[in-house]
Amino acid sequence: MKQVRLLAPIALCLALACTPAQAQTLPGDTVEERAINGARAYVEDHQLQNPSLTILLISLFRNAMPAYAQQWEELTGIKVNFIEYGYTDIPSKIMAEAIAKTGQYDVFNHFPYVVPDAAGAGVLMPLDDYTERGRPDFSGIEPALRAQQRYNGKQYFFLLDGDHIILVLRKDILDLPGAKEEFQAQHGWEPGCPETMAQWEQLASFFHTKKGDTRWGKTFDQDLYGAMGYRAINFSYRHFPAYFGGLLFDQDMNPLVNTPHGVEAIRAFSSIVQYMPPDIQGWGTPQIYPFWASGQAFSVMSFPSIVGYGNKNPQTQIVGQQLSCIVPGVMRDGQLVRRSPQAAGTGYMVNRHGKHPELAYYFLQWFTGPQQGDVAIADPQGFWDPMRRSNLDNPAIVEKFGSQFIETTMANTKYAISLLMLEGNYEYFNVLDKNLAQVMQGNLTPEQAAARIERGWNSVTDDVGRDYQIESWRNGVASGAYLDTFQ
Amino acid sequence: MVAETETAPRRPAGLTAWLAQERVFRLVPFVMVEGMFLLLLALPFVLTIYISLLRWRANRPFEQAYVQGFVNYARVIGEPEFWWSLGRTFYFAGAAVTLELVLGFSLAMLVHQAFRGRRLYITIFLIPMMVVPVVVGYNFSMIYVDSGPLNQILAPILTPFGVTARIRWLSHPIAAQWAIILADVWQWTSLTFLIFLSGFAALPPELINAARVMGASRWQIFRRIQLPLLKPAIIIAVVIRTMEALKLFDQAVLLTFGGPGDSTQTIAFFLWRQVWQFNKYGFGAAASVLLLLLFSSLIYGGIYLLVRERALLQQPEGRG
Repeated sequence: MKQVRLLAPIALCLALACTPAQAQTLPGDTVEERAINGARAYVEDHQLQNPSLTILLISLFRNAMPAYAQQWEELTGIKVNFIEYGYTDIPSKIMAEAIAKTGQYDVFNHFPYVVPDAAGAGVLMPLDDYTERGRPDFSGIEPALRAQQRYNGKQYFFLLDGDHIILVLRKDILDLPGAKEEFQAQHGWEPGCPETMAQWEQLASFFHTKKGDTRWGKTFDQDLYGAMGYRAINFSYRHFPAYFGGLLFDQDMNPLVNTPHGVEAIRAFSSIVQYMPPDIQGWGTPQIYPFWASGQAFSVMSFPSIVGYGNKNPQTQIVGQQLSCIVPGVMRDGQLVRRSPQAAGTGYMVNRHGKHPELAYYFLQWFTGPQQGDVAIADPQGFWDPMRRSNLDNPAIVEKFGSQFIETTMANTKYAISLLMLEGNYEYFNVLDKNLAQVMQGNLTPEQAAARIERGWNSVTDDVGRDYQIESWRNGVASGAYLDTFQ
Repeated sequence: MVAETETAPRRPAGLTAWLAQERVFRLVPFVMVEGMFLLLLALPFVLTIYISLLRWRANRPFEQAYVQGFVNYARVIGEPEFWWSLGRTFYFAGAAVTLELVLGFSLAMLVHQAFRGRRLYITIFLIPMMVVPVVVGYNFSMIYVDSGPLNQILAPILTPFGVTARIRWLSHPIAAQWAIILADVWQWTSLTFLIFLSGFAALPPELINAARVMGASRWQIFRRIQLPLLKPAIIIAVVIRTMEALKLFDQAVLLTFGGPGDSTQTIAFFLWRQVWQFNKYGFGAAASVLLLLLFSSLIYGGIYLLVRERALLQQPEGRG
């Protein structure tokens, strides 16, 4: 018995020593240190000469990324190269890589909603084995944003962008003498950040002003549109969930859009368009941002970076005049429900067919880590938006975005939800966009559109595989990516 | 004689000798052409047909794809969006090619005669087709902006008639369709102009002079001599431009991305979307094969007309 007692610790030690390297934690006090140490050890273990990584990069980041690539090279000796494309082109490049398996990219840079198709096609490396060793830190990131990094229970994505939509109003217009009083008399509440979408439309209607009109002591020398938002094909789906305020499917993947609530969401989404610039259905960011900065609109629902654009763009007319607001909500069963879809949300994935997936992983862990990630978010040349609680106290980030905006967008993260994390999601999005456009053009009623969306979504679900979609959907809902749960 | 025999070129040996044989050498071009045909056309075509028979969305590994027969073909035929996109494409092509033919013909008529500055005009008229389509798309997207130059130019013309000059070129379904057609017309009128200009240059002057001597009016010369002789050029222009216009893609992507709704989604864009956005490779391949059959028969019809016209023109007078 005594011998057994003596031998037991020795056996335990031996067992621990024999545990596969995968499970060993990398040395280092911080996330970034562990990533650097992991990369160095990998290069040494594999005796790599002139190691390099290639990132399929969203071209928007071409100015900001080289500095971090150089920093990584200085820290680890690993060179980082970029192949740049517009963000609309990248998903097809990723899917082409799934078939061709060239290994020409090590890292993919895109948005979370690209994960389901890419993971299904097998081109993304599940990162759980690596995270076990590298121990990344996602604390300070709201659960729904954190959940977007996983699909069907596996980690594929490292997020570095709080791109959940925000509402911005014009402070200078609100503050015009007598405007608030007149609005309050008309609508019974003091104008400011609206609680609901209906209130936003009231604001839009009230402040919508024709060129040449004189109101509240000011003669408007150009049209002032009451509202702006994304209403073009490829954009509407990013905003619609804010109007819907709940899960788009039930637990068996039956669409919930063809319900009184869904019809109302379509109606509200379309109704406010009357206060938007007439061309809005053809506009994307390149049109919306400059138009907003030119001072021709009272309010805009957009990606958060519009606030920085409004303050910093050389042509802007609205410096210091923006009031950031938490996304307005909708009333559901007597409750106010706010949902702020993560309309884009830049992040990074590892190519399974790359030469050194583990090495690529270390770059992800380093670059999106709590310290390094905050450096990127604070970068004046970058387009990464705040997303961690630590951003609130980071002087460089506060300096870049302004405290009112940071407080608002961080409060907004509590309502941030994922876009559909399902295979075939582009097709679901397209069905929605096309039918919303028909309503906005007056060709369909919201009821007709809801019925068509329901049919279209069911068709996509059946084509991809209903059972598989049900499982993925339930997993997604259970992960908290949509905040809501099944009734 | 002896010296001649000694200096005669030596006969090539090995591969060169084998190639030099008449029966082999005459087959070389045939083998090369057939090889290229197999490699560049037949192989991808067979592959496309194979993929069209598969149940395969690229969001699953190719290893999981399986042959399901003609299901994809049935689905394409049963897909209303396919037919809408096809109809829209014919509408775009019809409108654009008609305008390009009329404008190209008119411009060629204007500049085919000698006058001062003719070369400059010809050069200017030819420039648009040399511009990269992406640049054309980008430029037109600027021109069509709601508050952009086109609406500003139209304002003084339309306002007196009580028509608002703020045409939503890129966001109104009908206006967006015409925005695409006009951009295509701007770029490709150059090509029809070039074809017609060479057609005019090839007209036999003696026939026209003879008609003039016989007292034919300008209209009669044009109607009875020039126009019939230009028929082959017209058919060439129609066939080439229709073939291209049916593939309209760049402008639809760059100007409207198929929107608003799907009002500017052409068949090429529909295919691109099915394959590259929705990852429906099997479905996309089946749609491609069906389109190939459809367009091939149209083009065959065009070529048949061209050949028939040529044959008629080459017949001796008094026959046929």
